[in-house]
Amino acid sequence: MKLEIENLSKFFKDATHSAVDNISFGVKNEEILSFVGPSGCGKTTTLRLIAGLEKPDQGIIRLNQTIINSSTVFILPEKRNIGMVFQDHALFPHLTVFENIAFGLKGQSKTEKKKRVQELLNLVGVEALAQRFPHALSGGERQRVALARAMAPSPTLLLMDEPFSSLDAHLRLSVREQVRDILKSSHSTVIFVTHDQDEALFMGDRLAVLNQGKIEQIGYPEEIFHDSDTRFVAAFMGDSDFIHGKTLPNGVQTALGLLEQSQTAPYGQEVEVALRADDIDFNVAEPGNGTILNRFFRGAFNFYRIKLDSGEIIQAFKIHTELFEPGERVQVFFNAGHPLKIFSNNHRQG
Amino acid sequence: MNLIETLRIPRSTQKKPIPTVAWLAGWVALLATIPLFYILIRAAGAESSVWIRIIQTRLLKLISNTLLLVLSVTAGTTILGVGMAWLTERTDLPGRNLFRWLLALPLAIPPYIGAIIHLALLRPHGGIIPQWAQKAFGTAMPLPVPTGFWGATFVLSVFSFPYVFLLSAAAFRLLNATYDDVARMSGRNAWQTFWQVTLPIIRPGITAGALLVSLDVLAEYGTVALLRYETFSSAIFIQLAGRYDRSAASILSGVLIMIALVFLIGEFKIQGQAQFTQITSSWRPAQQIELGKNKVLALGLVIAVIFTSFIVPICLLIFWSTKGILQPAAVAAMQTGSLGLSNYIINSLWSAGLAAFLAVLLSIPIAIFAVRHPGIVSRVFSRLAQVGYAIPGVVVALSLVMLVNRYIPFLYATPLIVVLAYVVRYIPQAVRSSQSALNQLSVTLEEAARLLKRNSLQTFLQVTLPLIFPGLLAGGALVFLSSLKELPATLLLRPAGFETLAVRVWYWSEEGFYNQAAPVALLLVLISILPLFFLLRREAIFKK
Repeated sequence: MKLEIENLSKFFKDATHSAVDNISFGVKNEEILSFVGPSGCGKTTTLRLIAGLEKPDQGIIRLNQTIINSSTVFILPEKRNIGMVFQDHALFPHLTVFENIAFGLKGQSKTEKKKRVQELLNLVGVEALAQRFPHALSGGERQRVALARAMAPSPTLLLMDEPFSSLDAHLRLSVREQVRDILKSSHSTVIFVTHDQDEALFMGDRLAVLNQGKIEQIGYPEEIFHDSDTRFVAAFMGDSDFIHGKTLPNGVQTALGLLEQSQTAPYGQEVEVALRADDIDFNVAEPGNGTILNRFFRGAFNFYRIKLDSGEIIQAFKIHTELFEPGERVQVFFNAGHPLKIFSNNHRQG
Repeated sequence: MNLIETLRIPRSTQKKPIPTVAWLAGWVALLATIPLFYILIRAAGAESSVWIRIIQTRLLKLISNTLLLVLSVTAGTTILGVGMAWLTERTDLPGRNLFRWLLALPLAIPPYIGAIIHLALLRPHGGIIPQWAQKAFGTAMPLPVPTGFWGATFVLSVFSFPYVFLLSAAAFRLLNATYDDVARMSGRNAWQTFWQVTLPIIRPGITAGALLVSLDVLAEYGTVALLRYETFSSAIFIQLAGRYDRSAASILSGVLIMIALVFLIGEFKIQGQAQFTQITSSWRPAQQIELGKNKVLALGLVIAVIFTSFIVPICLLIFWSTKGILQPAAVAAMQTGSLGLSNYIINSLWSAGLAAFLAVLLSIPIAIFAVRHPGIVSRVFSRLAQVGYAIPGVVVALSLVMLVNRYIPFLYATPLIVVLAYVVRYIPQAVRSSQSALNQLSVTLEEAARLLKRNSLQTFLQVTLPLIFPGLLAGGALVFLSSLKELPATLLLRPAGFETLAVRVWYWSEEGFYNQAAPVALLLVLISILPLFFLLRREAIFKK
């Protein structure tokens, strides 16, 4: 493990709950770990604690097997050899692109500096802009210069705090591909913070989903998406709907009928079943078990919101050649082809 | 989990380290407040017989005189300032780009020089206008007299309104046009829109400006003394310079400071609220109002104000100066002992320059502590460092005379005590400039420097300082400008032979030697225009 975190906590005055609540995790060498969660979940605070920009209330942080934070040790940020790309990029407005990138190369000779800056300019593809000032750069260029500046001193660990949030949507897609390629080709170890599920899935070798200062789940993208540990993860990462159910010996009784699936909960317990739009299907039928509320056009598919007679609202896809209108009565049924995630009601989270 | 128990430090025993800058800021706050507390202690400790005598004979009259003048000047500057700002920012007044500059330039003329000029123009016996009227019409004309309450109101309003003008012009400029559009769409006409929407939105800014003008009026000495209207400041000056009664002076100063503190606290409160800015991504300038037939009237008003507050005073100073320079006798008289004009200039420049440098230097720890470590303690420190706004020049002088005599006697009778007075009095301006400069600097720039292996001092020197330097310079220019014009503390504290431009203007014009005073006054105004020009260039309304 490159970075190991044990029982890290941070509490801010005037806050109702801990910003970071006793979390532990590790980052492997040359791995990109995405931190994802809603705003205020503690992901940026965790990053700032690792950087040394905030002091934790408790916890041990080890970087390359060396303790950089504990109850007795606090290494200053300038001594940690951790690089960071800030949300607003924080390029020094009084320095040129070249000087910005060279800023972190303290104590090296002029020729060494020049060589290293040149390498990075090439790596991020902004060779032509070396003598420009930050205000004369486009959003994407600033992004790449900020990355180059953070990478210049060859940091042990690179932290990125929502680095793409200041870019507009269409630029974001191309920049994130470039950035991922750069990070991978330079064998960097990275923690990447975002509130965007898509971006987290794209950037991360692994993902950590945070909520209210706690890690809800940490794992590979497929695990997080298809095998959510908690209701929160299922809702946040997969846009799941939830329908109410009651456990029976052979499955779960729901408004869509019996879900035949072995499960561990004791007989007669109240549970919730997580449903994605591709887990169910429907036919026009009288009397049926639901009514179409609206239809949304999505190109190859139409997307339907259906209100079940139980009052629950769920979503389903249909290919664009089949059209249904709002108000039609339909029979909705399970059509997943794989086990669905069942969450017991009394452990409700999120 | 035993591990967690041993790791967790009980919150109550956990102490945040106090940053070094907090100690520095604390020292500055202490230095800035000592003169104030010392006066309050001396006032409280004065003999009760003196208190009774003053309460019975002077106090009520002084309070009512002073507050009446504050009220009338605040009203006058607000009407002039807001009115001129509205005409130059919101209407299609021709020549408004030029008028904006001319309306701000009276800031280079200290009100006491303005008083000298209007007195010379309008004084009943021997004034320029009454004499001219008598020649033209053959009899004495019933002209307004620029002395007393109305004279002081007139002069102070005419030379202080630019403060309110600049603040309200900026507010008009930054106001989002959408508010106007909404009001118009909801059926308000232009007049109703102004009163019901525009004015309420910019009110906090105007009120803050008006309160600063009030504090200036409380502190004003030269104007009220010349125009023979007695306020606290002039009464204290007489006690100090004429009767050497420090006991009575302390009591009057104590009461004056208490009044000034009320205004300052009000201003602090509004500063907190005035932060709501209307600049959003959808900002666009408000639509201009067409004056139509009223254009001539509006133009006449603006020109009248500019003539009274800037053009006539400057022309008169130039006229007297040429007359003076052409008379060998007057040139020869522009000397005190062996010292001449160049000596006054040098004294003015170095004392104001040193004060500006010190004030900015001392304001830096306060600004860093207040902006980068927000909290109750840092807010209190920042406000304590700004109490100078509430200590009029005469009171600073009294306080420093007593303090320096007692604790640092070697400073007494050196020009450094004058510089010290400027620093105490004007450090608030530096504190505000430094704080606003630092506020505009994103913390992430400093954090980025830390992660790029700079310690906090290196970060300040290599990143923060170069980026806030223009803001610090502006604070320095402000303190320089104010110190250059300062009169009462300089008069009371200067050692014999330490002559500044302001001191010489004052003495020569008090004795009626206008031809001698005018070139000195003109120099003072011209030197003031340089930093003023630099400061105005930074204002939103003068940016293209």
